[in-house]
Amino acid sequence: MALAAASGRRAPPRGAVVPLATIALLEVAAFLFLGREDYTFAAPHDIVLALGRALADGSLPAATAQTLSCVLAGLAVGFALGVMAGVALGLTPLLDRLTMVSVELLRPVPPAALIPLMLLIAGFGFQMETTIVAFTTLWPTLVLSRAAIRAVEPGLIEVARALEMGTLRRALAIVVPSALLRLFVAFRLTAGIALTVAVVVEVVANPRGLGYGMIVAAQTLHPETALAYLVWIGLLGWGLNALLSRIEARFLDRFR
Amino acid sequence: MKPLQTRAAARETAPPTPLISFRRIDLSYGDRRILEDINLDIGEGEFVSVVGPSGCGKTTLLRLIAGLARPTAGDVILDGQPVAAPSRKVAVVFQDYSKALLPWRTAAGNIALALSAMGVPKAEWPDRISALLATVGLAGDGDKLPRQMSGGMQQRLQIARCLAQEPRVLLMDEPFGALDAMTRQSLQDEVLRIASTRSVTVFFVTHELEEAIYLGDRVVGLYANPGRVAQCFDVGLAKPRDQLSTREDPHFLSLRHELFSFIKQA
Amino acid sequence: MARYETIDRLFWFAASLGFAAALLLIWEGAVHAGLVRPLFFPAPSRIWAALVHGVVDGSMLSDTVVTVSRTLGGWLAASLVGAALGALIGLSRRANAYLGSTLEALRPLPPASLVPIFVAVFGYSEQMVMAIIAFGALWPCLLSTVSGFRAVEPRLYEVARVLGMGRPSVLFRIALPSALPEIFAGMRVGLTVSLILVVVGEMLGSRPGLGLSILLAQRSFQSPDLFAGIAVLGLIGFLTATLLNAVESRLLFWR
Repeated sequence: MALAAASGRRAPPRGAVVPLATIALLEVAAFLFLGREDYTFAAPHDIVLALGRALADGSLPAATAQTLSCVLAGLAVGFALGVMAGVALGLTPLLDRLTMVSVELLRPVPPAALIPLMLLIAGFGFQMETTIVAFTTLWPTLVLSRAAIRAVEPGLIEVARALEMGTLRRALAIVVPSALLRLFVAFRLTAGIALTVAVVVEVVANPRGLGYGMIVAAQTLHPETALAYLVWIGLLGWGLNALLSRIEARFLDRFR
Repeated sequence: MKPLQTRAAARETAPPTPLISFRRIDLSYGDRRILEDINLDIGEGEFVSVVGPSGCGKTTLLRLIAGLARPTAGDVILDGQPVAAPSRKVAVVFQDYSKALLPWRTAAGNIALALSAMGVPKAEWPDRISALLATVGLAGDGDKLPRQMSGGMQQRLQIARCLAQEPRVLLMDEPFGALDAMTRQSLQDEVLRIASTRSVTVFFVTHELEEAIYLGDRVVGLYANPGRVAQCFDVGLAKPRDQLSTREDPHFLSLRHELFSFIKQA
Repeated sequence: MARYETIDRLFWFAASLGFAAALLLIWEGAVHAGLVRPLFFPAPSRIWAALVHGVVDGSMLSDTVVTVSRTLGGWLAASLVGAALGALIGLSRRANAYLGSTLEALRPLPPASLVPIFVAVFGYSEQMVMAIIAFGALWPCLLSTVSGFRAVEPRLYEVARVLGMGRPSVLFRIALPSALPEIFAGMRVGLTVSLILVVVGEMLGSRPGLGLSILLAQRSFQSPDLFAGIAVLGLIGFLTATLLNAVESRLLFWR
């Protein structure tokens, strides 16, 4: 114990060197080379100040709420549909084989291609963004949960058969609980995708949320605010992932 | 107890110039002492089995000869030179054969890895490879990938790759621990045959007492925590050995008895 | 046996193709019965006609060529750079200690959030589109390569040491083949990201290509053209992924 603590003091966290050095270097470079008329880059301390301003004046929290509401709603719909479809396909090989071509052709459609379609159908706003997020998260969820179901111990399914459970009860009582860990991993992965896609939609088309805020800041020549948004989106993505990883580790241990 | 000590004492004077010798070896990781004051000589062409309770540092001893580990104090002398780094004179058969083979290379390709490292001209490879495969009983399996081979076949392949090094010393780290009894016996006999026809020195780590006696010219028993040389048992059973008659030999049985009580107290 | 399996697979492929066709027929019927609005979901026959028309007048073909070459070019360049950098970082214990946690922290960041920055730097130009694609596809490949090189079986390095293999030999005969599956996994993710970002880049930068075409189709309410474009983009995604899988199973035959 004492030894570990001592060696911990001896070796400073080397992982922190690169980010800190990068920030310092950018600061110096900004001081030396950045003129007043630069509308592309900003010094790190200006970015931090801009982040503070955007948080204080309420614009950043509002944009965050808009983006996150689309992420969560889209994720809820897409994940629920994806798990249902994945469980159905995982349990019934016939259905899985029949839908193979349809799934394989729909799955690789890039979500950005749906932006014009959803603009046409729903116009700007919450609905179009949420739909695209849902569509995007549906497919990886389907594939991952189908794999999770297939990985369930065949012995357990035999037990369920022997107990003469119906398909639905079998799914709820045996299959889903034992696939829970893999389903949760699928959820964490798709949550990251959902955030990415929401930001894409806002950057390209939807006049709301963090992506739009960033575009506006960049176009109104406030690079420090645009970069502050970038940092904030990064923190969100990182925080979301860290939160879900932590829940995964803590509460799902007993399912392993 | 008495006859054992005389045997051990007799040995210390036997080899005039040992091929391998451990001289006052100490090894610790941080505060943990792994090996303490190891002194051991191994003669050219000798087959030494090493047994001992878990945590006695048998594998560490082997890694010291291989140059994969360095002692904290003392020297391992190989052929008159202190071991500083791995050398091609020494080949290692690892226990986990599936991790020690390149899964993307066929049996022939895995042997070719050693041949190319040895700088053997490419034109000689096919003949050398088929001869080596035949030596370990894998003739005709050269095109198989490791995953297409049974555990026993994979371990045979690893031995063949080691022989491609034309080593003077063959280090074997519980090589048959993961194999079933039948496979283990046939591999034991093959190793004995290879060791005698190639007059290679073998350092064989095992936890199977019978295996240690059956194979060895000498069995070294270690104490644990920290690892120390406890006793050396000269085997002195007639060669070539035979799975049935050797194992029924009264001398084999009495040695087994001695070793067993040694391990129990160690 | 093998022949029986082939026939079996062909049968199910045909059956699932039939299933997809049936879905399209139902869609067609629903449009004609007035159940869905043709402006939002035009009949498959209209979409097919738009597709054929686009191919015949050449616009669809040229758009496809442009978009595919952008995607593949950016993706390949990013994969090469990502794999090379990843190998350097993954192989060096020191680089790992300094960069490992930074890379881990950057992993969950959405690549698309950098789009406005690239727009600010490069303007609405071709370079902007290529930079977005290349940068987005770089990360998955880089991160995956790093973890691939880090996960090389230590036993194999010991085998290499015992055999006295030189550094280049260890790299190309042991480390690279070991890391290859992970490199491919990263490249596969990168390909998906590239296809998303090429559409984003074309739309934002108004660069000719399938992305811009579907945006223009939407603005002029040409929904059959819009759907035809989406279908072609999906097909590109499907074909490139299939091709990559084929290359992968060739190269990783030993798995």
